[in-house]
Amino acid sequence: MFSKESCRNEIRAAIRQLSDRCLHSAAKWAGEQLVGIEQDPSHFTPSNTRFQRGSSSIRRRFSSTNESFSTPQLSLGFSQPPATPIPEEDEVVDGDLYLLAKSYFDCREYRRASHVLRDQMGKKSVFLRCYALYLAGEKRKEEEMIELEGSLGKSDAINRELVSLERELSALKRTGAVDSFGLYLYGVVLKEKGNESLARACLVESVNSYPWNWSAWSELQSLCTSIEILNSLNLNNHWMKEFFLASAYQELRMHSESLSKYEYLHGIFSFSNYIQAQTAKAKYSLREFDEVEIMFEDLLRNDPYRVEDMDMYSNVLYAKEACAALSYLAHKVFLTDKYRPESCCIIGNYYSLKGQHEKAVMYFRRALKLNKKYLSAWTLMGHEYVEMKNTTAAIDAYRRAVDINPCDYRAWYGLGQAYEMMGMPFYALHYFRKSIFFLPNDSRLWIAMAKCYQSEQLQMLEEAIKCYKRAANCGDTEGIALNQLAKLHQKLGRNEEAAFYFEKDLERMDAEGLEGPNMYEALIFLATHLKTNKKFDEAEVYCTRLLDYSGPEKEKAKRLLRGIRMAQTGFPSMDMEHFPL
Amino acid sequence: MAGLTRTAGAYSVTPHKISVCILLQLYAPSAQMSLPFPFASVSQHNRLGLYLLSLTKSCDDIFEPKLEDLVNQLREVGEDMDAWLIDHLTNRFSSLTSPDDLLNFFTDMRGILGSLDSGAVQDDQIILDPSSNLGMFVRRCILAFNLLSFEGVCHLFSSLEVYCHSSSAQYDASNDNLESLIQHDQMDMEKYIMDKATEEIELHKNASGSVPFHLHTPKALFKVTEGLLVTRKEKSRGNTKKTEATPLACSSSSTVDDTLVDESLFLRTNYQIQGFLMEQANAIETHGSSLSSSSIESFLQKLQNLAPELHRVHFLRYLNKLHSDDYFAALENLLRYFDYSAGTEGFDLVPPSTGCSMNGRYEVALLCLGMMHFRFGHPNLALEVLTEAVRVSQQISNDTCLAYTLAAMSNLLSEMGIASTTNVLGSSYSPVTSTASSLSVQQRVYILLKESLRRADSLKLRRLVASNHLAMAKFELMHVQRPLLSFGPKASIRHKTCPVSVCKEIRLGAHLISDFSAESSTMTVDGSLSSVWLKDLQKPWSQPVFSQESGSRKSSTFFQFCDHSVSIPGSVSQIIGASYLLRATSWELYGSAPMARMSTLVYATLFGDTSSSSDAELAYLKLIQHLALYKGYKDAFAALKIAEEKFLTLSKSKILLLKLQLLHEHALHRGNLKLAQRMCNELGGLASTTMGVDMELKVEASLREARTLLAAKQYSQAANVAHSLFCTCHKFNLQIEKASVLLLLAEIHKKSGNAVLGLPYALASISFCQSFNLDLLKASATLTLAELWLGLGSNHAKRALDLLHGAFPMILGHGGLELRARAYIFEANCYLSNPCFSVSTDSDTVLDSLRQASDELQHLEYHELAAEALYLMAMVYDKLGRFEEREEAATLFKKHITALENPQDEELNMA
Repeated sequence: MFSKESCRNEIRAAIRQLSDRCLHSAAKWAGEQLVGIEQDPSHFTPSNTRFQRGSSSIRRRFSSTNESFSTPQLSLGFSQPPATPIPEEDEVVDGDLYLLAKSYFDCREYRRASHVLRDQMGKKSVFLRCYALYLAGEKRKEEEMIELEGSLGKSDAINRELVSLERELSALKRTGAVDSFGLYLYGVVLKEKGNESLARACLVESVNSYPWNWSAWSELQSLCTSIEILNSLNLNNHWMKEFFLASAYQELRMHSESLSKYEYLHGIFSFSNYIQAQTAKAKYSLREFDEVEIMFEDLLRNDPYRVEDMDMYSNVLYAKEACAALSYLAHKVFLTDKYRPESCCIIGNYYSLKGQHEKAVMYFRRALKLNKKYLSAWTLMGHEYVEMKNTTAAIDAYRRAVDINPCDYRAWYGLGQAYEMMGMPFYALHYFRKSIFFLPNDSRLWIAMAKCYQSEQLQMLEEAIKCYKRAANCGDTEGIALNQLAKLHQKLGRNEEAAFYFEKDLERMDAEGLEGPNMYEALIFLATHLKTNKKFDEAEVYCTRLLDYSGPEKEKAKRLLRGIRMAQTGFPSMDMEHFPL
Repeated sequence: MAGLTRTAGAYSVTPHKISVCILLQLYAPSAQMSLPFPFASVSQHNRLGLYLLSLTKSCDDIFEPKLEDLVNQLREVGEDMDAWLIDHLTNRFSSLTSPDDLLNFFTDMRGILGSLDSGAVQDDQIILDPSSNLGMFVRRCILAFNLLSFEGVCHLFSSLEVYCHSSSAQYDASNDNLESLIQHDQMDMEKYIMDKATEEIELHKNASGSVPFHLHTPKALFKVTEGLLVTRKEKSRGNTKKTEATPLACSSSSTVDDTLVDESLFLRTNYQIQGFLMEQANAIETHGSSLSSSSIESFLQKLQNLAPELHRVHFLRYLNKLHSDDYFAALENLLRYFDYSAGTEGFDLVPPSTGCSMNGRYEVALLCLGMMHFRFGHPNLALEVLTEAVRVSQQISNDTCLAYTLAAMSNLLSEMGIASTTNVLGSSYSPVTSTASSLSVQQRVYILLKESLRRADSLKLRRLVASNHLAMAKFELMHVQRPLLSFGPKASIRHKTCPVSVCKEIRLGAHLISDFSAESSTMTVDGSLSSVWLKDLQKPWSQPVFSQESGSRKSSTFFQFCDHSVSIPGSVSQIIGASYLLRATSWELYGSAPMARMSTLVYATLFGDTSSSSDAELAYLKLIQHLALYKGYKDAFAALKIAEEKFLTLSKSKILLLKLQLLHEHALHRGNLKLAQRMCNELGGLASTTMGVDMELKVEASLREARTLLAAKQYSQAANVAHSLFCTCHKFNLQIEKASVLLLLAEIHKKSGNAVLGLPYALASISFCQSFNLDLLKASATLTLAELWLGLGSNHAKRALDLLHGAFPMILGHGGLELRARAYIFEANCYLSNPCFSVSTDSDTVLDSLRQASDELQHLEYHELAAEALYLMAMVYDKLGRFEEREEAATLFKKHITALENPQDEELNMA
């Protein structure tokens, strides 16, 4: 059976191998998971547990349900075929040149590193040489991108090493003289050159032979743009595959599937910050803000200098309008690393919350300067422009977000909103439809669409009713849909339907303990409606409820009650004047 | 992105611009430079200047030419001194060996510009005026170079190297590609080759029975690999020819080819590209789907890679997809274009005179979207969108857009069958609603047109004015004008269309030819002139006589140049062409065949090549129909064959429709009812199923169905079809069609022997014809009326004959073969059934008519009528006792009757 101990050993060896090959981010990721494994209680030392102390509090609060079924799954899942053996190093002792090259590499002198290894034929040396060359090309590409930026945004800077790297790696692959790391690099190169299917094949081969390289998995994940592609991959069973699937599901907006994977992994890597952050992300998409906030708080306590994923936290704080907490977070990331897109985004969020939209735009722009494909910054900038009533700029920003990722329903929604603001509701409908296509279970989107249909320019009330119905079925939290449904039916003269929805709305308000004009309206309508239908007893109930409130409604209720009595007795009586109220 | 990266009007120095600068140095050498002046004559010098000017302005491609192309062109221009020019150019390039040389080069360039204030100009020195076109070019180059950072200079320098050795470098690159491609899927290929080889072996085995294994395998292998390599080589050279030899080769190469952009290529200036895109847009609109959409797509892809901020690309892609009938892609790209640029890009060439607000031009987006829905046959969506466009244009008071939108809307309403618009237009447009909310569709169309015309007139949008006039003419042609609010004694009530006003509107539309110049933007004219001039360089000289001496050769180019400069923009000639087509249509309706034919011929000869392909198709269609009516089917089918070759590639080709019509008609005449029914069904199948779309086609189909049923003697069914058709026409306000449906109903009753019932229909048809001035149709209705009278009994023969003689001039002058023959036969019938008429004394009157009729029907292969004529003829001969002639007529009669009874036999014979 698979034990935590063997898992730990695998990762330990992998970290050594990865960092030996200068795959730093993969090594970093593996390291995080290593300390994420729950320590054997018999021999943990106080220093080991320091990382793990905090997260227990959140687990106590939220995992009562999870734990009950995560344990049995554990033994089930991991008792699968024998794990991939950890490969032996081909060059047990690194050559002197390799050591030199590695130190050059660590000092980010990539070209120098590759030059040192020019005549080395070992697999490891070849990989490091190619990898250094690739990174050198990437670095030059980034620089050129700025240098060559023309009037029309000409950005044809390419990594000039790709052609020669591809040639060399494909030759090596043909002779079989390439290890899984080489395959990973080959896959990356192919992906850059646009040959996606071959890249996928290479990456699959790489992760099947060496599953601990998270960078390879995440490259593979970025190539899985649909569930069909994902399912067609021929992957060996390994616990790393679970990580991969979880993140792929998340990217494909299958949040609950992803969550269950993470819960499953949580059984072994119970203290992994990564898993916690990803779980928070998934829950954020499911709009469980309170829980997400606590998870992020916890995460920050364990890992106070973390910047990754913190933009998500700032979004949560923004949604909860927690100014102070947001400013605290902004200050913290600013001190940690101010030139990270996430940091800029957090600061932008803060200013946006404070209503200083120009400043917010400035920070979002900075984030975009740092990473042009930073999706959420484009969308958020669009929101800011909408606030500033600069619809043209807002539309442009949203459109860029959509072109980076066509599944971004927020940006589609923003586009619709902007066009609606400009008095083009019919045009806006197309965009709302798009956004609903990607998130069909969100009542807010349905309500936005319904409002479009309801607008005075269009007056397409039947369609509006359909949308509100969908919204009500999706669990409309703000309670707009029922009220509107009732009103629309009332407007169209369908009193039975109107009464039905008013009643429903009343039930909802009662359940939530709300009061207000909607309540009066519903009560008055129901009372009048029932009275005209001669259901006097029920009408009386509503009238008496109205009597509890002050203001004109009370007077109206009195008049209604009088009418009811009159109708009940069957003849207009003088006594009615003296009826005690 | 609203200014995140865009720096407006940026201009970059490229190797090609440096070559132009070098040539400019030759053209206008500065005083300090000690270059020999190589020009033999002033004209030679001018020619170089003209060439350089064209280089800076032409817009025939998005990329700047490579050195190779430049050298080739110089050979054309340079005449005697081409070698010298090219030598100098290459030498100059090879002398640029370090970034510092570049710096010095541009410092020298300053010398060729004259200073603005220097009065003292030496006699023999040529000085470039700094504010001239070429002077501006030099100044912009110098400025752009001075703005470059050191990195920029380095980039320029390295791209210069690529530029100078582009041919060889490119070859290397393609080899690289090739090699890598082969390595990519060596595995697959090996497998493929093995498969191929085994296949071949198996073939051999089957053929000979023995397997000479050691001999054949390697050979087969070798052959197949060779084939593969060849196709790959072709592809990697970037040829557009796709031989598609193996599916394997194209699948592997496509992605790599697309993403890699040749580094030696640079984009032209913004203006040139915009001009090029505009020309492409024109081309797409004129040629429709006959233009290869994938080739446009590929250049758009390249352009987008090189200039992601040039949003006009999306618009072009939209146009392209629109014309290749890809709804989703068209919609997506249209929205994308307007999202990115707010519709302002590409319009900046036109002075922002009216209604250009800070808010972008989203109303234009609505207008385009509306027209797109219109084209794809979604009339209700289109109407919604256009209504919104009207609202938004009014809100931000963009009168230009409003005028266009109203025109589009009226066009939509008149083209699409929309039964009622009250719910759509109800609240939207105040001028419409203020007059009356219960207006009929035609009245709305009229108001919209008037409104659009008024605005266009005041905004001086000549093209719109012209096309509005044409739309108005069309409206006047089809609708009886009634005053909108008629009360009081002075309200004139005329229940007739007015041909004079149709004619007036058509003429007003054609006025455009005299004053279109105000609108055309100079940029595109300059650009297209320059590209035409450059293209002429490559053309072989057409007159070998003149090419002997160089002097006249130049003058001929000069005239060509002038010739182009007065040429009319495509859009103008399109509208004027359309006016001729409309003229032809109106003559057709009014019933003058020769006039209609003439107008169509004028159109086909004068505007055939500049017009849009759908208009040209329509002209051909009219001519072929004319042939079928007046010359018989043989000629018509021959002409159809020619037209088919030309137009069948179009997406919504009307040629197919015409072919079905002709076949149906032909089958009806020859009595092949099954075939006729089939054609009729196919015709109906062409129409869209959406309500209100393709009305014309639907009416046509059911009209033909009724006629087929009539020919099959299924009278009640035919009458049912015709009745429901009449209801449809009434619902959608198709007045002219109503007249012909009524006539058909009269026909049906006549054939079923119910003359009394037929009379009112015929009379109604005649009155419709009168109010719409449909003279020919009226004549034919009168003929039917006369036939109905005769059907009531021979005592009405006199009255029938009078009626017929009244209509005779029209029928004989303008009628088609069938109508004329019918009239002749009927005349004979009248005489014969008249008791006062004696055959023996007056036989020639009858025989002449009948002979005439039978001749014409021979052409038409209309067996039934021909048989009738011959039968009558035989009877007359019999009475006269001319037995020989009687026998002749009788045999002919028999022939027609057998052909009529066995239509299939004849089909077989023909096949």
